[in-house]
Formats: sequence, structure tokens, C-alpha cells
Amino acid sequence: MVQSKKQKYLFLAFCLIPTFIMFSIFTLYPLFSGLYYSFFEWSGSSENKEFIGISNYIQLFNDEIIPMTILHDYFLVAAKVLGIMVLALFFAVALTQLKIKEAPFYRIVFFFPNIMSVVVIGILWTFIYNPSLGLVNSGLQFMGLEDWTRPWLGSEKWALPSLVLPSIWAGIGLFMLMLMGGIANVSKSYYEAAEIDGANEWQQFWKVTLPLVWPQIKISILYIVITTLNGSFIIVQIMTGGGPNNSTHVMGSYLYEQAFVQYNFGYGATIGVMILILSLVTVLILQFFMRRERVEY
Amino acid sequence: MGRAGIRIPLVLWSLAVLYPIIWMFIGSFKSNGEIYANPWGWPESLNMGNFVTAWTEYNIDTSVFNSLIVTVVGALLTLFLAIPTAYAIERLRFRGSQFLFTLYVSAMMIPMVLGWIPLFFLLARFNMLDNIYGLAIVYAVSQLPFTIFVLTSFMSTIPKSLEESAAMDGLSPYGVLLKIITPLSMSGIITVTIMNAIQFWNEYFMALIFLQTEENYTLALTIDFISSEAQYTNAWGTLFASLTIAIVPVIILYAIFQQRIAKGMTEGAIKG
Repeated sequence: MVQSKKQKYLFLAFCLIPTFIMFSIFTLYPLFSGLYYSFFEWSGSSENKEFIGISNYIQLFNDEIIPMTILHDYFLVAAKVLGIMVLALFFAVALTQLKIKEAPFYRIVFFFPNIMSVVVIGILWTFIYNPSLGLVNSGLQFMGLEDWTRPWLGSEKWALPSLVLPSIWAGIGLFMLMLMGGIANVSKSYYEAAEIDGANEWQQFWKVTLPLVWPQIKISILYIVITTLNGSFIIVQIMTGGGPNNSTHVMGSYLYEQAFVQYNFGYGATIGVMILILSLVTVLILQFFMRRERVEY
Repeated sequence: MGRAGIRIPLVLWSLAVLYPIIWMFIGSFKSNGEIYANPWGWPESLNMGNFVTAWTEYNIDTSVFNSLIVTVVGALLTLFLAIPTAYAIERLRFRGSQFLFTLYVSAMMIPMVLGWIPLFFLLARFNMLDNIYGLAIVYAVSQLPFTIFVLTSFMSTIPKSLEESAAMDGLSPYGVLLKIITPLSMSGIITVTIMNAIQFWNEYFMALIFLQTEENYTLALTIDFISSEAQYTNAWGTLFASLTIAIVPVIILYAIFQQRIAKGMTEGAIKG
């Protein structure tokens, strides 16, 4: 090679250092100093930053809203995993296994909400749930189900479940595509063999499709769990702001309120540490339970 | 299972997806009176008044411009940083390249909301708070892990012999990167850039935290602002018009790059 060692290192530095510096300043440093902030009481201006040890953590354990927010987050995780996986799997099988001419149309339409802004989705669905003008209540009236109409997002009981539908609506396409990719990789000969053995379509689904797309299912579940724990607060912030009466607060929206509305930055950071720990622990536990030997071909 | 029976859920779900979007689009041409009289109905005429109100009274033009800047600057900066890094990690295989890759990729799994509190003060110290270029930088860095991840997988398919013969011909490593690797990875670069651009155009929460004055708002914030005003003013038509303004560029991008976006998103999603 013509280049000297020095030139080679210079080039490596040119490639790596700008990115590493930016990543350190805007990702690594904020994460670690977030951890550091959690030991302070701090309302934002530098004079009143006071080291208080683990007091924020003690406050966290005594805060009545915290268990609620954790419960709400895991409610959303469970509802989304179940809703998205069942529907996405159903659509993926329907669009690949059964010879439907217009399958590409459905694929394009179902995926479209995945690239819509969460603001647009949130506002659109807020209007769909609007008590007097929205589609849900007018639809129920139209079907003669007046008793079922209610102020969905204004009800302490119904607000959180109401947030599940937009999340499923917006998320399904991506996982449908991932599962379709998995199904496309399953060799046709397995289905032929199953058919010769007399398995009906339902049995083929359980015995052939499901085990063979297990890797995609596993990744999809993990991905839904991570993105929900890390990001469910965005739709909450847009649609309910955590209300009514804290009934939809999740961990992230509570952090936002504590830090950026109430200016308890230290306590906000403590909630952030809790989110980080909970989501890492959840992922580890899930990965442990979803270990399943790969199906041998 | 009957073939006709299987179509029913497919048709129903496409209606569930399309109807609210079409409804929003139609609603943007309706006066408030029409929306109240019949929220489901057609507009009496193609009334552009809502768009005019959104554009002039709520200064959507400024927000569209801000969103465009944030999107373009953010997407370009991401590429500028990610292409050389992806190249070095994937093709130069130095000591620690695996470590760097793991470091960047694992950042995709970490909830960044904890980091946003210090980032707020950091931007304040850099005088970049309430500044769309500051926001663009934060956006760019936030998409770095994903971009590096996608680009390395694209670059891994380029035959090694190409670089070697280019180096034999006396091309410097910078030349190899610029004239061989970048053009050959163009399909991956375009895919990941479209996805990053959609991400930046749509982003809401960081903008909410880091931007403060209305003239610096991105489109997402202005829509949110119009939406919260509409709770009192009931200017639903204006709200629909602003939603339509936000979504039309995304529809156009999706129409052109549908296949690429779908492929790129699913590839990017497989990272857990």
C-alpha cells in the first residue's frame, strides 16, 4: 500500500472523530449528567442547585402518582403488543398466503399511518373522540347506541383505553411488513408437505407459519415494548396532557410535567433514571423469556 | 377459510385508515357552520378560507419554512457525520470498531427523555436554545445511530476489490470514500435520508422542549398550538387545514418512495 501508517490513522480520525464528538456532547453527556442531576434539587437557575443525595429517590418511592404512571405505561405496552401483533399477524398472513389480487393496495394503505406525524395522528384522533362532533360518538348514535356515547378523553375511566386505538392504528403497518418479510422467507415446500400430511389452513398456520416467523415476532414484540416505554408520552401529551386528573399520565409525561412545567429538574431527572432502568430491565426479562430455540430447517 | 370472508377485515381496516385522513382533508374545506351542522358531510363549496386563515393568522408559512430548514439541515448533517463513520466501522476494521458500532447501535434502545433535561441546559449554554439550527443539530445526532446502522449494512455488500484497485491506482482514502463508496451506497443513502427527513418533519416533543417563541415554531408545534386554541375558538376548519398542510408533503414523499420507505423502515426496525 502506498499510504503510510500515519496517513491511515489521520484518515480514521477524520472519519470517526466528528461523529464521536457530536455523539458524546449531544447523547452521552446528557444521559450521564441526567443521572447526576437526579441527586440535586434544582429549579433551573444555577444558584439554587443543591445536592440532596438520594432524597429525590425517596420522594419517588413515596410519590403516589409514580405507581400509576408505571401501571399506565405497562397497560399501553400490553394493549399495544396484543392488539398490534394479532392484527399485524392476521394481515400479514392474509396478504401473503391467500392469493388476493389487491394485496399491494392494502400493504400501501396499512403502512401509510406509520409515516404520519404523531401530532397529526394525535389531533386527528382527539377530534375522532370529540364528544359532540367526533366520529366515534356520532357513529354510535347512528347505530342506535346512544347509551354508549361518552366524552372518551374526558373520562377518567375511558381516557387511557382510548389512547390504545390510535397507537394500534398508527403502528400496525410496520409490523405487518416485518412479518410479511418473515413469511416470504418460509419455503413453499413446508406448506406442500403439510398439505400432503392433511393439515388444514388453520393447522398450517399454527404448525408451520407461526414457528417459522417466530424470530420476526420476537423482534416485533421487543420493538413495540421499547418504543412504547420510551415514547408513549408523546401521544399522551398531545391527546390528554396526562389528564383528566392524572388518569393518563405515563412516566414520560410526568417527567415532562415535573421538569418543564413545574421546574423540578432534579426530580424530573430522577423519573428519567427510573424510566431508563425500567425499560432496560423489561427488555432483559423479555429477552430471557422469549429465548426459544430456532426452528431447525 | 373463504376468500371472500378474508376480504371483509381487510376492507374494514383500509376504511379505518383512510376515512379519518380523507375526512380531515374534506373538513379543511368546510366552514365551521358546516362542520357543526354535519361533521360527516361534504362541503358546500371548495372553500379555501381555512387555508388562508391558517396561513395568515397563524403564520403557518413561517413554521413551514422553519420545518424545512430543520429537516434539510438535520438530514444533511446526519449524512455528513454518518457516512465516514459507517465506512470506517464497516470497511476499515480497526481495533475498537466493533465496540464503536455496539455503542452507537445500543443508543437506539435507550430512552432519551432523561437526556433532554441536561440537553436543555446545554443548548442554553451554547446559546442554541429556541434556535432552529440548534434543534437541527440535536435532531441530526439523534438519528445518527439509526443512520450508521443502516449505512453499514448497505456498505457491507460492496466488493472489497473495488477499493483495493482504486487504492492501487493511487486514489487517496478520502478519494475512495468520496468517489467509490459514497456513489455505490447511494441507494442506501437516499433511503435513510428520506426516512430521517420524515422523522425531522414530524418530530414534536424535542421541538416542544427546545423551542419557545412562536416565530421559531416548527409546523408540529404550530399545529399543536392551533389545536389547543381550537378548544376555545372552535376553529376546527382551520385546524383541519393546518393538518392537511402538514401531511401533504409526507403523502407526496410516500407516493414517490413508497417501496424504499417501507423497506428502510423495516430494516431499521430490526435492531432490538
